[in-house]
Order: sequence, then structure tokens, then C-alpha cells
Amino acid sequence: MRNRYRPGRLLAGTIATMLALGLAGCGTGEPSLPDNAAQADPPRPVGMQDPAVIPTGPAAASGSCNPRASLRPSGALPPPGQMPSGTAMARIAQRGRLVVGVDQNSYNFGFRDPLTGQLTGFDIDIARQVARGIFGDPGRIQFRAISSADRIKVVQDGTVDMVVRTMTMNCERWEQVSFSTEYFTAGQRILVTRGSAAKTIQDLHGKKVCAAAGSTSIRKIAEEGTVPVSVVNWTDCLVLLQQNQVVAVSTDDSILAGLAAQDPNTVVVGPRFSDEPYGVAISKESPELVRFVNGVLAKIRSDGTWGRLYGRWLTSLGPAPSPPVARYRD
Amino acid sequence: MGSQGSAVAVPRGRLAVAPQPRPPAVLRRVTAPMRQTPGRLTAILAAVVVLGLIAGVVALVGVRQRADLVRGVTARSGELAVAAQSLYRALSDADATAASAFLSNGLEPPALRDRYQRDLADAAAALTIVSAAAADDGRGATAIARITARLPVYSGLVETARTYNRQGMPLGVAYLQEASGLMRTELLPAAQELYAVASGELDDARDRAAGFPWVAVLLAVLTLAGLVLVQIHLTRRTNRLLNVGLLVATGATVLLVAWLTVSAVVAAGSLGASRDDGSAQVNLLAEARIAGLQARADEALTLVARGNGAAFEENFGVVMQRLAGTDGSGGLLAQARAAASDETTRQAVDTAIARSKEWAAAHRNVRILDDSGEYAKAVAATVGTGDRTTAAIFNQLDEALAKAITHNGGRFEREAESAGRALTGTDIGIVGLTLLLVIGAAVGMQRRIVEYR
Repeated sequence: MRNRYRPGRLLAGTIATMLALGLAGCGTGEPSLPDNAAQADPPRPVGMQDPAVIPTGPAAASGSCNPRASLRPSGALPPPGQMPSGTAMARIAQRGRLVVGVDQNSYNFGFRDPLTGQLTGFDIDIARQVARGIFGDPGRIQFRAISSADRIKVVQDGTVDMVVRTMTMNCERWEQVSFSTEYFTAGQRILVTRGSAAKTIQDLHGKKVCAAAGSTSIRKIAEEGTVPVSVVNWTDCLVLLQQNQVVAVSTDDSILAGLAAQDPNTVVVGPRFSDEPYGVAISKESPELVRFVNGVLAKIRSDGTWGRLYGRWLTSLGPAPSPPVARYRD
Repeated sequence: MGSQGSAVAVPRGRLAVAPQPRPPAVLRRVTAPMRQTPGRLTAILAAVVVLGLIAGVVALVGVRQRADLVRGVTARSGELAVAAQSLYRALSDADATAASAFLSNGLEPPALRDRYQRDLADAAAALTIVSAAAADDGRGATAIARITARLPVYSGLVETARTYNRQGMPLGVAYLQEASGLMRTELLPAAQELYAVASGELDDARDRAAGFPWVAVLLAVLTLAGLVLVQIHLTRRTNRLLNVGLLVATGATVLLVAWLTVSAVVAAGSLGASRDDGSAQVNLLAEARIAGLQARADEALTLVARGNGAAFEENFGVVMQRLAGTDGSGGLLAQARAAASDETTRQAVDTAIARSKEWAAAHRNVRILDDSGEYAKAVAATVGTGDRTTAAIFNQLDEALAKAITHNGGRFEREAESAGRALTGTDIGIVGLTLLLVIGAAVGMQRRIVEYR
């Protein structure tokens, strides 16, 4: 009767086999640790190019004209509120406000004070003086933030009455718009960290220097034998300087002063190695407006307003010099 | 099925040494050990029993594996996908919130500050979850390392930006833009990669869990066929209609086949529903929500850039088109609307579509104000109080999508759990039925042999 036990044995065998197989597959593989190299390179401003692409177009023609010479004011300024009929000033007066293209992002020239939300700066105050000349009220003004590249376009198409935006007068631009007399003289210099051994652009040979993409400044520093690094906005250059990604920033000292004012550990050094006369850009269609603005500028040069505005915004460039001398082509 | 042949060979040899001589004329041609009926029957039944045993074991192992996979879908892959999505969303939200907070002159609104900090905390929490998962299989480890290394750098840049902004310096804007650039060029792509990995893992786990147990079912059907043949043969030979043991074994085998098939089909159906009604919709909705967050960040950054924001405005247009199409009735939202499979989701997506149209209109107004020099009014229309600001409209859009995501996440979990329930008890059932099959066949076989004796 051996066979009688077979079901029992089969049963036991079945259970044992099923348990063994059922429990199998619960084993785990040996977990290995990920192999990651540390990444410590500094973050980069959006649009930064290192090395920069240097604009290849012809440099601005020079010597073909006197970019400083503008139109002479026609006699005494008309009193505010009494603009001669048929002029651009009369149309502005009728509209009730002066429309000016400005920068919102250039510290001490045109920027929005985060505390008040108002646009302030040297350029802004110059524009307000023009509004005061037309209306007797510096507040009758509408600012439009424009980019550097749009400066000529908005003047030509009449979007704005004038542009006051750290704009260098040169012969190439005189072909497209008219300028007022010079209201500020800038020149390219360098901004370095306080205590830096570099004192001039020549000391920066082979070193990384920052400037805005497409600017005349970046051409200049490339010509001087530095390694140019380009960014979209000038403040990005200060970020790079603070993060030790460049050793210097180089552009108009007016802009550098605005950067230096935001970080007391940076300083503008060395001589100017370019000449940048700033003027108010106005449509070629409105020579009477150019003459009017030149009248306003002549007034603020002589009555001490220019010196007061300089003292308010630009003392980081040193004590106020005498205002730039007006030159006329009649 | 080579294992089957060898498994049969062992009992065949053993059983053949217990001969009960009774030569039936029909089987003369069969090989020597099989010449006598009891021996032959014993061998066939033993083969059937072994086949049934193997079928049971294969079914048990398979069902345990699938139950593990289904558990993995809910407890691991699903959670991981949720964590990766949460990381992606939190980082996008931090980008949008930091930019919005910047627009409010120097002093940022406490609510936005809280939201930013909650985003960072959410991102860190989600990052620990995806890191733990990556520690197991190494997938996405590079992306995790990048986020872990860059998130503190990002928050450092944002804090520097805040400090300068409070001092009234435009330098703050430059730092905020650098922070946002870091977020968009490194952190968000890494988070997106993680999300793709997690979603892929979820789909993969689901496909494997939903597989049909072909081998086990085939083996069980073969067993059934063997049992039926043996009974037909016995009935013909002995004129006895019923053998209780073999009938029980046959019934158990039929039940086994049925149970395996039904449980697999039901589980696969639930898993399919967890995808179609759950995670596939969550994916679309999450993508739409993140597009909304990026558009919101672009809108704020355009204003923050103060006249230099053309690139952000351009990106706003691109992202909005991805979100809602060119005329507000296409894009991801339209896809989500088409895929919506219940009323709650449809309503939420309809709300989102309506809000996206309102947002586009309100945004045009903001741009007109900003372009005409009314910066303060443009800012007020973007982050100010009131329910017509782009902030209010955006928040309603975001909430509608968040609601739909939560709802479909719940549906995913319910369907995945119901797939798990379909397999619950299947393992015990398989063991029980296999035992019944083996015992029934063994008992039936022994009774028949005894009768021959």
C-alpha cells in the first residue's frame, strides 16, 4: 500500500515547491551610488558671450563733420505757455505733454527709483527742463522707455518728440536725426575692483573685460588687445565684475559712474580714451525744436542749473566741471 | 517547454516498476513500460498532475510579480512622477513669483514672499524623493545632481537681487535676470528631464504590470485538456461515468484558468484607465500649468527689464501659443479639453481656457500701458489689487489647472488601487486550486488503480 501515501507526498511537495518559487524573486540587486562630478562654474547672465562677437561693420565715420555743432537758438526763448504758432513746440503745448524717449535702466542717467517708482536721473532732469521751458511745469512730460537700438527709429517715426538717452552725437547719426548742443561730455574709461593693479586699458591686455553687445565700447576694448566679454545690459557687466568673471568693465565714464555708485568696492580709473559728446536727438523735420532745446540748454548752462543737476547725480565722476561749451553751425 | 518533458520522464520511470498485468489489445504497439493499462494511466495522470503543478507555480510566481508591479505603479512610479512634477512646478513657480515680487517697489508683498519660500521648500522636498528613487536605479542622477548643485546658487542670486532692489539699485534687476536665466537654462531643463524619466518609468511599470499571463494560462489549459482526455478514455474503458477526484481536479483547473484570465483582464483595464483617465491627463494639465507659469514669469520679467524686455515679451508670446494656441482656443489647453474624460476635468479646463483668453487681452492692455510710458499703471495692471489684474486672472487659471491635476491624480490612484484589488487573493486562490487539482487527480488516480487491482 505504498501508493496510499502518494497524495500526501505530492501535497507536501507541491506546497514546498510553490512556497520556494513564490518567495523567490524577493532578492534585491546591490544598489550603487551615483557618480557625479561637482559643478562649481559661476552662473552667467542671459545672453553673455565669452569671448564676445565683435561687430564687424565700419566704425562710425569721423572727421567728416563736426558732430558737436548744432543749430543756434533763434533769439530769446518764448515765455512758457506762449509757443509760436505752427511750430513743433506749439503742437506739443496743444497736446499737453512732452513725449521723451529715455532709458529706464541706466543708474544716475535714466532709471526707475524702486522706492518711488518714478523715473529719475540726469537725462530725465534735462528732459524735464525742456518741459519746463514749454509749459512752465517740469511735470508735463511722458516718458517712454526705449532700447538703445530704437533711439533713432522712434525719433524718425514721431513716436517721441525727442530722445534723451546717453546718446553720443556722431556724423553717421547726424545723417538720420538732428542733435541739440552737447549737454554732457563722456569718454570711455575702465571700472575695476578697488585695489586692482590695473590703472589703464593697457594694463588689461589679455584679460577679460566686459562691455555691452553691439556697442562701440566693445570694438574699442577688442582693439586694445583685451579679451572682450559681451552682455545685454550694462548692469550685467557689474554682476560679472562682482562675481570675478571679468577683471574690468569698460565704456563711457557716465555709465561706469552709475555702476560704481551701486558698489562702493568698484572704482573708475585711468584716462579717457575716447570722446563721446551727448546730445538730445530730435527729428530733422523740426529744426525750430532743435533751436528751442538749445535755448533751454544755454539757459541752464548759464544760470547754474546744469551744475546743480551734475552735483545731484554725477559726483561719483568727481566735482562738477564747467558745462560743455555750445557750438553752433547756424 | 523542455522542462515539461523531463518532469514527466521521472514519474514515468518510477511508476512503471509497479506492474499490474492486464494486457489490453489496443495498446500492444505502445512501448514496453506502458504496455499495461494501470501503468499507462498512472503515467498519464502523473504527467497531468505535474503539468498542473507547474501551471500553478508559474501562475503564482507571475501573479506575485504583477502584484508587485502594480504596487510599484501606485507606491513608487506614481509617487515618483508626482514628485518630479511637483519639483518642476515648484521651480517654475519660484521663477514667476520672484519676478512678480520684484515689480512692487522695493518692498515685496508678504504673500509673494511666502509663496516663493514655499516653492523652494516644495522643490527641496520633491528633490529628496526623486533622489531617493534615483539612488535605487541611477536614472536621472545627473539631472538631480545639477538641480541640487544649482538650487542654492539660484536662491543666492535671488536674495542678492532683493537686497539691491531694496536699496533702489538697478543692479538688482541684473541679478534677478541672471537668477531667472540660471533657472531657465539649467534648473528647469533638468527638472523637465526628471519628469520625463519618471513618466517613462510609470508607463513602463504599467505596461509590465498589465501583461497577460500567457504561459500560466496555456499550461493550465494543457492540464485541463489532459484531464479531460483521461476521463474520456476511462469512461470508454470502464463504463463508469464519474470519478469524483478527477472531476474535482477538472473543476479546479477550469476555475484556475478563469481566475487567471479575469484577474489579468480586470487589472489591465484598471491600469489602462489609470493612464487614460489619470496620469495621461495629469501630464497634459501639468504641462499646461507649467507653460502658464513660464508665461507669467515672462510677463513680469518684461516689466522688470524696464524697456529691455523685448526678449521676454517674445517668449511670452511663444509660451502662450503653446498654452492656448494662436487664438486662445488651441494648444495644450485644447488637447487637455479633448482628452478630458469626466465633467469635473472638463469644467476646470473650460475655466482655464476662458481665463487664458482674458489673460491674453489683459496682457495686451499691460503692454499698451508700458509701451506708452505708463509704467506705474502697467505694473498695477500686472501685480496690483483687484480681480482684473493679470495676477488675478493668472491665479484663477493656475488654480483651475491645479484642481484638475489633483482630481485626475486621485483618479489615477483609485484606478491603480483597483488594479491591485483585482489581483488581491489571486495568489491564495492559485495555491488552493492547484492543491485541489493535484489532490483530486492523485485521489482519482489511486482509486482507479485500486479498482484495477
